[in-house]
Amino acid sequence: MKTTPHGHACGSLEHDISRRQVLGTLGGAAGFGSLLQPGIAEEITKQKKQVCLIWLDGGISQYESWHPLPKSKFAGPFRSIKTSIPGVHFSELVPHTARIAHKISVIRTMATKDPNHSTGVPRIQRGDPVDRGVEYPHLGSAVAKLLGPANPELPPYIWIKPGNGGFIAREAGFLGAQYGTLALGDGKPPIHIHRPGSISAEVDAARNALRRKANERFSAYRNASEIDAYETSYDMAQQLMARKDIFDDSELDEKDRERYGSHPLGRHILQARRLLEAGVRFVKVNSYHWDTHGDNFNMSQRLIPQVDRPFAALVNDLEDRGMLDHTLLIVMSEFGRTPVINSRLGRDHWPDCWSVVLAGCGIKRGAIIGETTADGAFVNGEGYDIGHLFHTIYTLLGINPRKTHYRYKGQKLDIAHGDCEPIREVML
Amino acid sequence: MFRAFCLILTGIATMAQGAPPLHREIDRIINAQAGGPSATISSDAEFFRRVQLDIAGTIPDTGQVRAFLNDKSAQKRAQLIDSLLASESFAVHWTDRLSTMLLERQALGKVTDGQWRAYLKRSMQGTPRWDVMTRQMLAATGKDESRAAMKFLGNGSHHRLTEDVARLFLGMNLKCAKCHDHPSVKEWKQAHYWGLYAYLKQTKQATNSKDKQVYFVESLATGKIKFQSVFEDNEEQTGPRLPGRPEVTIPTFEKGKEFDKPAEDGLPAVPRFRPRELLARDLPVKENTHFVHNAVNRIWFLMMGRGLVHPLDEMHGGNPPSHPELRAVLAREFVAHQFDLKWLLREIALSKSYQRSSLLPEGVKTVAASSYRTAHPKAMSPEQLLKAILKATGNLEKVTAMKTAPDAEKFNRRGYFSGTHGEMPKSFEEIRAIFLETFAQPAGEAEDDFLPGLNRSLFLMNDRLVMHWLEPHDGNLVQGLGKIQDPGKIAEEMYLSVLARFPEEEELQTLKDYLEKNATRRDAALGELAWALLTSTEFRLNH
Repeated sequence: MKTTPHGHACGSLEHDISRRQVLGTLGGAAGFGSLLQPGIAEEITKQKKQVCLIWLDGGISQYESWHPLPKSKFAGPFRSIKTSIPGVHFSELVPHTARIAHKISVIRTMATKDPNHSTGVPRIQRGDPVDRGVEYPHLGSAVAKLLGPANPELPPYIWIKPGNGGFIAREAGFLGAQYGTLALGDGKPPIHIHRPGSISAEVDAARNALRRKANERFSAYRNASEIDAYETSYDMAQQLMARKDIFDDSELDEKDRERYGSHPLGRHILQARRLLEAGVRFVKVNSYHWDTHGDNFNMSQRLIPQVDRPFAALVNDLEDRGMLDHTLLIVMSEFGRTPVINSRLGRDHWPDCWSVVLAGCGIKRGAIIGETTADGAFVNGEGYDIGHLFHTIYTLLGINPRKTHYRYKGQKLDIAHGDCEPIREVML
Repeated sequence: MFRAFCLILTGIATMAQGAPPLHREIDRIINAQAGGPSATISSDAEFFRRVQLDIAGTIPDTGQVRAFLNDKSAQKRAQLIDSLLASESFAVHWTDRLSTMLLERQALGKVTDGQWRAYLKRSMQGTPRWDVMTRQMLAATGKDESRAAMKFLGNGSHHRLTEDVARLFLGMNLKCAKCHDHPSVKEWKQAHYWGLYAYLKQTKQATNSKDKQVYFVESLATGKIKFQSVFEDNEEQTGPRLPGRPEVTIPTFEKGKEFDKPAEDGLPAVPRFRPRELLARDLPVKENTHFVHNAVNRIWFLMMGRGLVHPLDEMHGGNPPSHPELRAVLAREFVAHQFDLKWLLREIALSKSYQRSSLLPEGVKTVAASSYRTAHPKAMSPEQLLKAILKATGNLEKVTAMKTAPDAEKFNRRGYFSGTHGEMPKSFEEIRAIFLETFAQPAGEAEDDFLPGLNRSLFLMNDRLVMHWLEPHDGNLVQGLGKIQDPGKIAEEMYLSVLARFPEEEELQTLKDYLEKNATRRDAALGELAWALLTSTEFRLNH
């Protein structure tokens, strides 16, 4: 929600109450309209902006992907190859992305602060804001809150991940459980989206009609729209059930599957495309086990193609569909990997200088940003902290991070680190 | 000092005896401020369901409803309130309520849930004095009887305790005041936060070298707490201080005389100055209006669905009570009755304001919740909802008795939700955990608001357990209904069991039509009819 400045105490209270009453992500869009002033609501509906965050958990090696330095002392065994941008090279492990390099941008000088996974993952995904004693939302929940659903029939934040899924509240931080995420574990929706086999569509419609009738009677002479919220939540549930095909990766087109790859990450990125097409505001795709402390080169050879091919396909497909201009794509990890190759032929954690890939939605085409030392170990000059990236993301989504604030328990909170600025050189 | 205190209390109690009973005072003040027509008094059925849910934690069974509706005694509501307050279910339900309020479902410290719940339950079975309970929780050391109450101290995190003591016992959400004066609440200062913190700073966990158990001890105070606003340069300091009270002077002792007791029994030496003990002594007292106001506001909220001050932890001048006089009277009488929670619950339940219908007065389209002119519907807690569903569908006894074999494989709850594991839960505890995961707020968030939630509705629509409970077996509701021929009797049984009231003509007709249309699949149709009532707003709310 875009907040307006409140000059007195009750402003924050009102906000707090409406925050709690609104149904948010997990309750669907029912309460959304009530949160916004009409003018703003209209403006946001007009904005079709969507986001796909591809999260390579553990840390992709920049040397084996977007920033190869084959002549440096830290080089690995892989060659570098030409890309579609004259003079720019990627690792030979990302040939597909190399061919579409002119459609994307790479920031090669991310310089962040946390070298640990357990703290680094949430810290990066929350944009590492100034500590105000509250737990900030992860990016997906933040966008769900700030922009709401793009398609009111679908939750604004969906997370495709290996392992278990379900309704996951913890990413929402202080925004509250309703801005959590609907997680598709192994690309599958939570079990409760499926009607049990014992109940046919016809029976389901009949039993819901009975419930509606009971509710109409009950709410007829009673107070408060709160009561209607229950009925609304069932409507939302039914809408979601009706669209369950888009949540299930087994329904994906065979030819598409071949282009994206049959491994989970390929399937999940393809599924992300379909969710974006259906109008989901924010899709996060997770892949795990990129933490290549040992045997970095064999692991990279196996893993990196799994993101290369489907990512390139995604960029092309979104462009073909006319969606790239309003869809922001981000490929990143919590940090990069060390220049120094350790005794187990691995690379360790390296937040000092690493790469992020961006595309679409106001990102320049073919911009390779940032100067590093010749060996790629450090930034030459100033690097970009995650706060800068968050300012960039919000600005591209049409949210002014200087003028938009969260309000929580009377506190006015910046949505991104107050000392950072958007990375102008990567923006159109 | 103790004697003088008793005299004062007796004085107030005597004064209170001459005054009208509190429940009348409640009604007088609410009515005087109504500013419009109020709802009629609830029907017996409406009242019966509400008071059962509020005091005993679940819906009544059909026999109880019939008996209550048939009871012609003019005193039956008051008698019911008294018998419910004396019941085992009351102690269990209010253990749930207080535990959820105090811990917010966080897994805290070394005290087991069993020990903690037994402590709360014991308190609720006797005369639950909120000042005494608060003191027990704040002063707990882990020795002897104070072991269970120590749960509230959790792992002894000073900041968590500072925030929770302020919020849960004083109605002050001081989180923002940790780093600077509260930005929008003028009267909440950073010094309030750190004054409370100073009481807790010396508190730490210590493992007893003999019995290897964890205890809470206090270390030597080294002086005032220094703090600084993130917006300003000057440093401030404070000793232990309760909001609105004078600062406690930290005494200095001669070297070697700082301790009351040397290290013994496996625990470190006990300092003479123990600020947490002072907090436990000085916070839960009648002179501390923050404490008294917060207590009556929270109990009022739990019974009435909306605090006189709302939100509950925003008790300050910028957010005044809807009924200031009522708060003052509640506070005065609560003190006069020795902070007795049960007494306060009884008085609220006896009031007409509590017993109003949730139906709007005729010709009125909407009523502000803060006027209490109609009963404000309350969301059921996850525990209430689970028990109510089981009771309504006639599966309560069977399901609560379900136990896992000791050698059974651990139930895969995550797999259950993601659909990757087909196995069903085999114990009541597992089923309870499924309900908590679906219907409870995440750990650390207060359960004081109304959140229907998409996932919750999906659960009630499609969950395998819920569907199973609506299939005929083990003498449950649907099986019983299947044996009845007369649709009138079926409707009566179903409505009494699920909604604790008799069906109306129109509802009977709906049921008849549905059964006729589905004559060849009668059992399934009965399950669907019951499901529609179970998922209705009327069922899901305590109205």
